[in-house]
Amino acid sequence: MPPAPTAQRPADHAVADEANLASPRVGPKLFGAWFWALNAVLFAAVLAMALWYAPIEKSMGLPQKIFYAHLPVAINTFVAAFIVFIASVGYLWQRQLWWDDLADAAGKVTALFCAIVLLTGMTWARSAWQVWWTWSPRLTFSLVLLLLYVVYPMVRGAIESPQRRAVVSAVYGVVAFLDVPLVYLSVKLMPDMHPSSITLEPAMKHTLLAWFAPVTLMMIGLVHTNFRLNTALRLRNAVDAPARSPRTGPSTGRSRSEVASGVGGGGSGSSGGVA
Amino acid sequence: MIPFPQQVLLLLGKDLRIEARGRQTIQLVVVLGILIMVVLGLGLGAGRPVDGFGASAILWVAYLFGGVLCFERTMAWERHDDAMAGLLAAPISRSAIYISKLLANVALMFTLAVIVTPVAVALFRFDLSAAFGSFAMIMSLGMIGFAAIGTLFAAAVSSSRLQGGLLAMLVFPLCLPIVIMSTQVMRHAFASQPDPASAGWGSGITMLALADIIYLASSWIVFELVLEP
Repeated sequence: MPPAPTAQRPADHAVADEANLASPRVGPKLFGAWFWALNAVLFAAVLAMALWYAPIEKSMGLPQKIFYAHLPVAINTFVAAFIVFIASVGYLWQRQLWWDDLADAAGKVTALFCAIVLLTGMTWARSAWQVWWTWSPRLTFSLVLLLLYVVYPMVRGAIESPQRRAVVSAVYGVVAFLDVPLVYLSVKLMPDMHPSSITLEPAMKHTLLAWFAPVTLMMIGLVHTNFRLNTALRLRNAVDAPARSPRTGPSTGRSRSEVASGVGGGGSGSSGGVA
Repeated sequence: MIPFPQQVLLLLGKDLRIEARGRQTIQLVVVLGILIMVVLGLGLGAGRPVDGFGASAILWVAYLFGGVLCFERTMAWERHDDAMAGLLAAPISRSAIYISKLLANVALMFTLAVIVTPVAVALFRFDLSAAFGSFAMIMSLGMIGFAAIGTLFAAAVSSSRLQGGLLAMLVFPLCLPIVIMSTQVMRHAFASQPDPASAGWGSGITMLALADIIYLASSWIVFELVLEP
């Protein structure tokens, strides 16, 4: 970080930066190239298991093998959504922006995984029922879940102030997670044609269990990589911002709340003198 | 300090007086609701009768869009002349602000429903007489849950540049469980021979009430975190 000319920076800026720059150790390069290489190898292995080790199911044939990816991705979608929830609660509790970085990272992964669940579910529906879409409870559940978490990054993009964005998206992250059981309950009211339970042969069970490893690793890796990227971008912006904008009070782009609450104080314009 | 119920009544009275004097919000949402009915009527095929299940779906479209406008307007009143800053500086609980805004929104939505529902009955030839009590209860529970979430996020986004669009984007996905529950319970209530495999009317109503409680409790808890002058 370049040395900050503290004598010329208003005290309010130091307060704002303290919250901005607070960040956990993002860790060693645990999730570097070798991690992704290992993940790719694991994916190749479980794909081989699905194709050659697990037997072909009699009624559905090859499309049944979608299930091996579908279930682990679905479970990891909930895990990622839970990370959004925890990070959102963490932000509302501590007001440190690194929680917001984590929530954002996990939110994107939730939306991505949810899209994969929906696509694999639709492919299954096409194979089982000859239609791409039915209003079956589980497909509807995936669709509503996708809508809930696709909105999350869009909301973030619509709010300029980082603090305001963090608050609104944290509240959304909490409410959206609380909404998930309600979505589940609501779709249970709909008529169902989805199989309620599937009997698997041992080889199928092994394959399904094996698929959890690379999918879970991918989820963790994606969340961590996104988190590091978000943190790095935020820190860079926090360092660059004072240099880019001379202190001219409320017109510097801060939200009204920051000005009113004094976090961005010094808004009188008296400190407008550029170093 | 003024007791909490009195705070709520004072704030609610203020909001309702503002609306009674201008009647801008209710005019806007009623006209919007009727327009939606006409568009849906023409789109679905003029003159085709609709059952109670379809009635719920059609009315929900009008209630959702009208509701978002209500939420936006009731919060916009506090943005004029920085009224929110004054409200936050006053010795008033922030929970009272939430409850009063929620009640104002519910009152506006009920007014919308009272006007738009008969219009829909006339246009689509709904026969709600078979289960009017169930219809009123299901829609009321749905509206309360919707207003609980809408009031929270109206406060959250009222200072952002997108406001209306953003509010709809936030609130619609969150309230989908309510829409699904109410339409499914309505299907059961209006069915001449209820499907034994589907969930009963009682469990559906219980789920709607549970959704309302979750929305109300979570919104109440986090409302004060999203308020800003």
